Amino acid sequence: MAGTGKAHLRDTDDIILRVEDLVMEFPVGRTGLKVNAVSGISFDVRRGETLGLVGESGCGKSTTGKAIMQLPRPTSGSVLFEGNELTTLEGQAMREARTRMQMIFQDPISSLNPRRKVRDIVREPLVIWKRGLPTEQLDKVDALLEEVGIDPQRAAESQPHQFSGGQCQRISIARSLVLDPSLIICDEPVSALDVSVQAQVLNLLEDLKAKHGLTLIFVAHDLAVVKNISDRVAVMYLGKMCEVAPSDVLFEAPAHHYTAVLKDSIPVPDPEIAVGKVAIEGEPPSPVLPPNGCRFHPRCPAADERCSTEEPQLREIADNHFVACHHPIVGGEAPVAVRSATSPVS
Amino acid sequence: MARAPKRPNRFLTVGSILSLVWLGGIALLAFIPNDWLPFMREADQRVRIGRNYAYGPGVDFWMGSDRLGRDVFARNIYGGRISLSVAMFSIAVGLTLGGILGLMAGYIKGKVDTVINVLLDVLLSFPALILAILVVGRLDVLEINRFWSVMMVLSLLSIAPIARIVRAQTLSLSERDFVLAARSLGASKWRILAKEILPNLVPAMTTVAFTGVAVLMVAEGGLAFLGYSVESPTSSWGKLISENRERIDTAWWATIFPSLMLFATVLAFNIIGDRFARRFDIREAAL
Amino acid sequence: MRYALTRIARFVFVFVIVTFLVMLATRIGSKDPIRDLAGGQVSPEVMAKVEADYPYIEKCEGALAYLPCMGKQYAAWTFDMVRGEMGYSYAQEQTVGEMFKQRGPATFWVGFWAIIIGLLIAIPVGVYSAYKRDSLFDRFMSFGSFATLSTPQLVVAVFLLYAVASRFDFFPNLWNYVAPWSSPVDHFKNFFLPSLTLGIGLGAVWSRLLRADMIMTLQSDFINLARAKGVSPNRVLWVHALRSSVLSLITSVALQLSGLVSGAVVAEQFFGVGGVGGRLVIAVQQNDILIIQAITAVVVAVVVIVNVGVDLLYAVVDPRIRQARALG
Ligand SMILES: Nc1ncnc2c1ncn2[C@@H]1O[C@H](COP(=O)(O)OP(=O)(O)OP(=O)(O)O)[C@@H](O)[C@H]1O
Ligand code: SF4
Ligand SMILES: [Mg+2]
Repeated sequence: MAGTGKAHLRDTDDIILRVEDLVMEFPVGRTGLKVNAVSGISFDVRRGETLGLVGESGCGKSTTGKAIMQLPRPTSGSVLFEGNELTTLEGQAMREARTRMQMIFQDPISSLNPRRKVRDIVREPLVIWKRGLPTEQLDKVDALLEEVGIDPQRAAESQPHQFSGGQCQRISIARSLVLDPSLIICDEPVSALDVSVQAQVLNLLEDLKAKHGLTLIFVAHDLAVVKNISDRVAVMYLGKMCEVAPSDVLFEAPAHHYTAVLKDSIPVPDPEIAVGKVAIEGEPPSPVLPPNGCRFHPRCPAADERCSTEEPQLREIADNHFVACHHPIVGGEAPVAVRSATSPVS
Repeated sequence: MARAPKRPNRFLTVGSILSLVWLGGIALLAFIPNDWLPFMREADQRVRIGRNYAYGPGVDFWMGSDRLGRDVFARNIYGGRISLSVAMFSIAVGLTLGGILGLMAGYIKGKVDTVINVLLDVLLSFPALILAILVVGRLDVLEINRFWSVMMVLSLLSIAPIARIVRAQTLSLSERDFVLAARSLGASKWRILAKEILPNLVPAMTTVAFTGVAVLMVAEGGLAFLGYSVESPTSSWGKLISENRERIDTAWWATIFPSLMLFATVLAFNIIGDRFARRFDIREAAL
Repeated sequence: MRYALTRIARFVFVFVIVTFLVMLATRIGSKDPIRDLAGGQVSPEVMAKVEADYPYIEKCEGALAYLPCMGKQYAAWTFDMVRGEMGYSYAQEQTVGEMFKQRGPATFWVGFWAIIIGLLIAIPVGVYSAYKRDSLFDRFMSFGSFATLSTPQLVVAVFLLYAVASRFDFFPNLWNYVAPWSSPVDHFKNFFLPSLTLGIGLGAVWSRLLRADMIMTLQSDFINLARAKGVSPNRVLWVHALRSSVLSLITSVALQLSGLVSGAVVAEQFFGVGGVGGRLVIAVQQNDILIIQAITAVVVAVVVIVNVGVDLLYAVVDPRIRQARALG
């Protein structure tokens, strides 16, 4: 999978975020090696849309989210958000532009300062930006806290560790909303929570999205979680984009072999469906020395010679369905410039 | 594997309560003006009972008297005043300077970090005791009061280990999601430092303060023993030990009691430091 | 390789700075270093001789000239050291080389036996505590080692003096250097108490370290494998598991070295051991510049070399650790 390519980028004027060729590398100590956490991905999000971003652990989802927020600034690539090119903004302008966009982190405990009162944590953004009088600030904070289902009274008296994981995530959500952002990046907001709590938090996000007119990027390692709440889903593998499609299309007819594997790894109530499918083999390779060609080829059941040398590009195989694979499950062979000998396996 | 159920990490245990009581008692006795304490003799007041100078522990002298007839109990209390204040003052200086260096290295990173790291490497490579007696000895020539020169040296020695701890803590804190969140909300570097990082350094610093005082009291004891601490007639526990040890056969109390005081106080500081560390789940940091 | 070189370069740099700073420290407030070197009240002839022997030791007056002048002295001193001429102590009428030859062995044996005693305490206690985790033995030992760590060496020495030395005539009142090969019993008499003073503390540090390390090891796969293969429990514990903790023990020995030096000075002084530590104390009193510089140089060099050695050992034994260290 390795797709690079931008065939899937849209050109409508309600595009709120457009990420192009985003690359994020981290040096490995002083060895001269680097972690290729994100290696040139592109995508866009329309206003009011929910984009699901899926991939297994370590594929660079969180890094992508943080790079969009310029935390830290990506190695290269462009991030165009509400008409501002974030990668070149500096100082005050950067700080201001960034507040229109917020992130909810994976770990509910670590994302709240353990030594502050919850109400102060949620109020902090208003204090930083000196929005309104103190009483107005508190009113707004309390209203938001109630909206996410946290008792403001308790929030005023307690520190984060006195709340459960699900409640902490609600507090994070309240904090992210307090500056009225237009885009929220939810980085696996429910993966650390009990299954019973997960649905509640997801519903809350859906409600808030409608109420506040938000655009969401929803990150998950599990296709099932994004399925229902996303309009469009992008699948990542080892820092590259594999497949982009509307949620139902991707689920009905995955074209990329990795997407198929992801889909099969969802536990299904009906055992018959799961029978006879390829299980994912082994661990993903290290992002320090990623494989050549399609980064998925060492684990792909359909890999051939070409996959190990030539990197597939994203191309449209059906209406609004994009895949970066030489031999996709549906949609036909990728056209080749120089034909290699082998033919597809399946 | 069956695990014994984890005991809750309460701060107050039998050990820490006893330690607090002990330290509170010692501090009260040492720092209250002695006019208020009718039972206290002057530290250098010589009392002779019968023909004997070195008088064993009893009603007259709770911890006996030394070869000059001075009350060992009173001398221990006054000695404690010096031992405690030297160690506490030095750790305060160490925490301030080491804290600033560590914060700068861990928060600004880059070149600043490299420079500070080399500086700390140098400081940590000094054989501590050699440096200490050398500098205290030379400061004598400049006629600087021993009390201050010992404190200067101990402060200097405590900077590097503290800076290392603060740096590590700052580095790991600034990676935490709540700091990222603050940055994404547009908080300035200073605001993040003041509101997000510093408050979270407090637990580790509290631990360091307690264990550090313990280490410095031991160090002062070593210096005093070698003759490089406060000058007579002032005394510290270490000095009491060394000036009486030659008569340990005949007047054990004059040596053993200050030893016990030093031991119990160091232990108490360590126990409290350890409780703090466990309470806040800080890894054992060697000072 | 590059890793080794940068490590070594860094340590050389630290060594130079530390010895230079010690040189500066010996001159704090000194009005006439040559007089200091000669040992205070001496005849003009001796002074002249000192000046002739060490033309580079000057007063260095004036703030601007001070550092370059000290730099020159440092360079000359380093050159002498490299040639193996560590200097002459006029106060003690002895070359530094002779001093080390005469007093070095005593210090070596004190340190050596201290490390042995430390290991003899730490290995059984650490291993058994890890094996019987949370048992009565473990808890008792865990508090015991904590209390021991809180006991200043000075206090340990006092108790040994009171409880052992002054009750048994076995231990000599006056310390004497006896090599182990000339009379093992006399050697023991002279070295046991000072070494024990240092060794108890080391034993406490290492038994805690070993316990923590062994608890991790005992849960790892290769131990389970050994057990599954039917290796006897004792062998698993004392051979397989202990072996993998050796590296952390070695590291700790290296880390303790600098502290051991400080402790050794106190212990030597307390029991009247005629070692380098005692000589150092006298040298500082007399501001015997060359002795102080030479002793610090040797101490810092030993500490630095051992640390480089351990670092390189790690790099050889386990490349992953090198990476991890580089990352950290
Ligand atoms: N600051 C960093 N320094 C070095 N490597 C990093 C850093 N941040 C992330 N990485 C590496 O980049 C890769 C991608 O990490 P990332 O956290 O983005 O994955 P993820 O998809 O969010 O996984 P998860 O589902 O576990 O959250 C990983 O291999 C990770 O080790
Ligand atoms: S078929 Fe080739 S290009 Fe497609 S996913 Fe497999 S390895 Fe990649
Ligand atoms: Mg993540």
